[in-house]
Amino acid sequence: MPIRRAHPILNPLLVVSFGVLMLAVSCSGGGGAGGENGPVGGPTPPPPPPTGAFATEAGTSRFLTQATFGPCPEEVSALIGTSASDWFLAELEKPASLHMPQLEAFRRMIADPDADFPVLAVQSSTFSFWRNAIEGDDQLRQRMAFALSQILVVSNFGGELLTDIPEPVVGYQDVLVEGAFGNYRDLLEAVTYSPAMGYYLTYMGNQKADPATGRMPDENYAREILQLFTIGVVQLGPDGEPVLANGQPVELYDNMDVTGLARVFTGLDLDGLDRQRFPSVVDAVDEWDGLEEALLRPMTINDRLHSPEAKRFLDCEIAAGTSTETSIDQALDCIMDHPNVGPFVSRQLIQRFTSSAPDPNYVQRVASTFDAGTYTLPDGTRVGDGRKGDLSATLAAILFDEDVRSDASLTDPQFGKIREPILRFTHWARAFDADASRPEYGIELFDLSAPDALSQHPYRARSVFNFYRPGYIAPGTESGAAGLTIPELQIVNATSTPGYINFMTFWAFGGQSMIPADELEAELEEMGVPVDRAALERAFLPDYSEELALANSAALLVDHLDSLLVYNSLSEETKAAITAALEAQPVDGPGDSEALADRVSLAVLLVMTSPDYLVQR
Amino acid sequence: MPTSRRNFIKALGAGALTTAALTAMPSTFTAHAADTNGYKALVCVFLFGGLDCHDLILPHDQVSYDQYAQLRSSLLAQQGAARQRASLLPLSPASDGVLQGRQVALPPEMPLLQGLFGQGKAAIVGNVGPLVEPVTRASFESGAVRLPPRLFSHNDQQAVWQANQPEGAQYGWGGLFADAVLASGANASLPQFTTIATEEVGPFLTGRNAVPYRVSTSGAARVDFLEDYYEGVSGERADLLEAVRDQLAARSYRGSHLLERDMAAAFSGGLETNEAYDTARQQGAALSASFPATPLGAQLRAAAETINVRDRLFASRQVFFVGLGGFDTHDAQARALPKLLSQLDGALAAFQASIDALGLGQQVTLFTASDFGRTLAVNGDGTDHGWGGHRIVLGSAVKGGEIYGSLPPPSLGHAADSGGGRLIPSVAVDSYAAELGRWFGLGESELSAALPGLGNFAPLPKSFI
Repeated sequence: MPIRRAHPILNPLLVVSFGVLMLAVSCSGGGGAGGENGPVGGPTPPPPPPTGAFATEAGTSRFLTQATFGPCPEEVSALIGTSASDWFLAELEKPASLHMPQLEAFRRMIADPDADFPVLAVQSSTFSFWRNAIEGDDQLRQRMAFALSQILVVSNFGGELLTDIPEPVVGYQDVLVEGAFGNYRDLLEAVTYSPAMGYYLTYMGNQKADPATGRMPDENYAREILQLFTIGVVQLGPDGEPVLANGQPVELYDNMDVTGLARVFTGLDLDGLDRQRFPSVVDAVDEWDGLEEALLRPMTINDRLHSPEAKRFLDCEIAAGTSTETSIDQALDCIMDHPNVGPFVSRQLIQRFTSSAPDPNYVQRVASTFDAGTYTLPDGTRVGDGRKGDLSATLAAILFDEDVRSDASLTDPQFGKIREPILRFTHWARAFDADASRPEYGIELFDLSAPDALSQHPYRARSVFNFYRPGYIAPGTESGAAGLTIPELQIVNATSTPGYINFMTFWAFGGQSMIPADELEAELEEMGVPVDRAALERAFLPDYSEELALANSAALLVDHLDSLLVYNSLSEETKAAITAALEAQPVDGPGDSEALADRVSLAVLLVMTSPDYLVQR
Repeated sequence: MPTSRRNFIKALGAGALTTAALTAMPSTFTAHAADTNGYKALVCVFLFGGLDCHDLILPHDQVSYDQYAQLRSSLLAQQGAARQRASLLPLSPASDGVLQGRQVALPPEMPLLQGLFGQGKAAIVGNVGPLVEPVTRASFESGAVRLPPRLFSHNDQQAVWQANQPEGAQYGWGGLFADAVLASGANASLPQFTTIATEEVGPFLTGRNAVPYRVSTSGAARVDFLEDYYEGVSGERADLLEAVRDQLAARSYRGSHLLERDMAAAFSGGLETNEAYDTARQQGAALSASFPATPLGAQLRAAAETINVRDRLFASRQVFFVGLGGFDTHDAQARALPKLLSQLDGALAAFQASIDALGLGQQVTLFTASDFGRTLAVNGDGTDHGWGGHRIVLGSAVKGGEIYGSLPPPSLGHAADSGGGRLIPSVAVDSYAAELGRWFGLGESELSAALPGLGNFAPLPKSFI
């Protein structure tokens, strides 16, 4: 079996840190953020006994597919035979790659300070996402933040403030990155006070009722924090399945609960905003110098604008006259106490990592970990502080679940998830060492939200309901007939399937190098993006050297990609069909470099568009 | 796309497509109850987020307007001249039944709709919404009535509007209407072009047989590789192109994994249907009417262009779904909603003009839908989720220039107020849909099958189409 080992220096480098064996291996491209993988002095302790997860190359690759933005060959090679528990613990300890410093750096690169909505700033959340996802060393944390971004949705899709001013969304990305291994209750609090959410769900500046004018508190956040972020709409069992009464799901609340909870989210506003001068925060764009800075700070409290009435919702009651801060604290505590939170949040996290339609027993195991707040890794190490909502414990329960790790799950006809389009791209970039250190050169990556692109773009869902719904059952499909929830099928249609093929064709065939460099440079400079020509010509180029060396044999090439991309799970039929397609393109011996290059690109495209690849098992 | 790689071959044109794989629609029904003669199309314009009905149909007589102005004072202050009484565009319905002496008007962003209403091509159906059975304020407050599930929730009410079930619903009434006409023999050669969406559609267009076909506004999506990479090379490499095409269509996949099978079907069906659709679209003459360059304008243009090639798609009945988002005006309603209403006005008028130019005025009917109406009460600078709302119906078959359903007064605490001005619907979505389905050609038994709750409601006193 061909194994990709492009960088033989990367034997497992064991670093003792916080009592944890840490592997300092990363997939960073040229000059990226992550690559601190130099040798470390001192005696090397003996390697720990391998667990099941990393016992084989395929197992290692599979685990990293589920837990990161895609396995890269160096990392897989380095981890084979090591302890997956150690890898997990090391990931918990790695310093977070943040987004805000990148925005600051982009702002410093802007030549014309008076430019309206400069691309470098406006697209910063996209750029830093690609860089961190593809090159960040803290893969597990970044992947968890991405998963959370699809539950606690904030989006710059809609235009206006969150599109024009990057600070709120970039700051929000860091809220999720920093909270990725923390507690869900604490994360909800940080989210509640974040200007991005305050603006997105319209409670920034929300005020108490005014009987004189008939004004009522805005209900938007109150409704969605219940429905989308914490408990859903119907009573769930510990396995995440709806509890039925007389054959019907039991609804948890009605509009009275929502109007009651809406009172809690009054009295928060952008810190320092003069509401006399700027009745709407949008009015402050270009008019108030402090706007960008303010959008990075948590929202501030004005108790005079907070509802003084009692707040009743679910089984909670907050006494009349309670302050804003205390009301929010009590409300979040009360919501967190609801038994739905564990199964509701756990099931959605499972969907983002391992399984679109998880077995209820699996959901129950993860949800009970969420509730217990602690998990024991295969090597006996406990993670989590024992408080309900511990996300590191929950994540460990998702990834180390015995059913998930078993070989049986590989052949289970219902286990797995449709790979999210964004994850397919980051996987490609990491597998072939594409250089994402200058993401601003990737103009094809500026916006992938259109249906004829990927229908998915980081932090750019069409609404708070994300790219797809966790309960989506696709009509007219076999999975739908079996009653399976497959969220990702919501963005699969006759426009998006060619959209993905075209997107992947561009990158597989060398992407940027297809655009004449002069034209690309001119286009970028017109957008105010300074260009380093050498870096531009290197940007996002795949390194196919390993593949080119094998390409004279189509069969060997396909075997290699099967191992590299899909941990040897391509079906024989698919391998035969791809091999036949590759052989239909004549190659005039090992010296026919152009034909060999085309063959490799085509092989990558055909593997990454095959049903066997598109479903992560 | 890349030009330097065009050293591949271009062997197959679009004509090489066979449609054999596309015509496998089972026709197990033998009853031919639906009338599928001639051509008819229904076009659903879904306004995502919940259109504020109180800002679409405004009171215009002085007494009602003053009442409204007081309740909405904080919003009106932000809306300025656009919602002053003198700026509004009055509607003069043919009969007074619904208004009972009151007068109503459209906002100034909708002059073209006002014109279409005056010409008898547009009607308003007031206070339509999901119901299980008729609801009064008393029965709502006492709980002595069955209510639609998960009221006031976006995704659920979108699904209830489209499919009478909350999120997770499988079959929508557009798809079930399509099933009925397919079962009666319509569109037999290319059934996949019965239900067409230009926007992300929920369950609306899905039936037991019908599956929505998604097009982009510029036509079917193409596979660049098959279009570009093979350009300029002779036909001797047809085997290569065919092998690649087969693989991109997942032809070799034989596995048993459910998700993989679904993905294989999506890739294969998408490729083939797109090629057939593009072939038809390319043969159609250009439309004479122009459309505004807005998202909704582009979608309705795509619908009109598809209707224009109905014969090449062998379609006698079609249901379209187009959509526009942004109506969830919890805040900044004064700034956001006028732009949306203006976009709606321009796109609807352009669509009607192009359909009229095609001579299909009597054969194409457009209608609007939305998650829900909104509160009459204001939350500062916006409004919150409601229930019933007012809908627009457009086309020469419509008995236009008239207001149907009900338009409750601009006050709180009236008989149709469920709280805060969230209207208790007086016209069930089932009744609204049944009118459209009957016109589309469905018989009563087919209507009952598509709209199982229909029997719980008395027929509308006056048919709007």
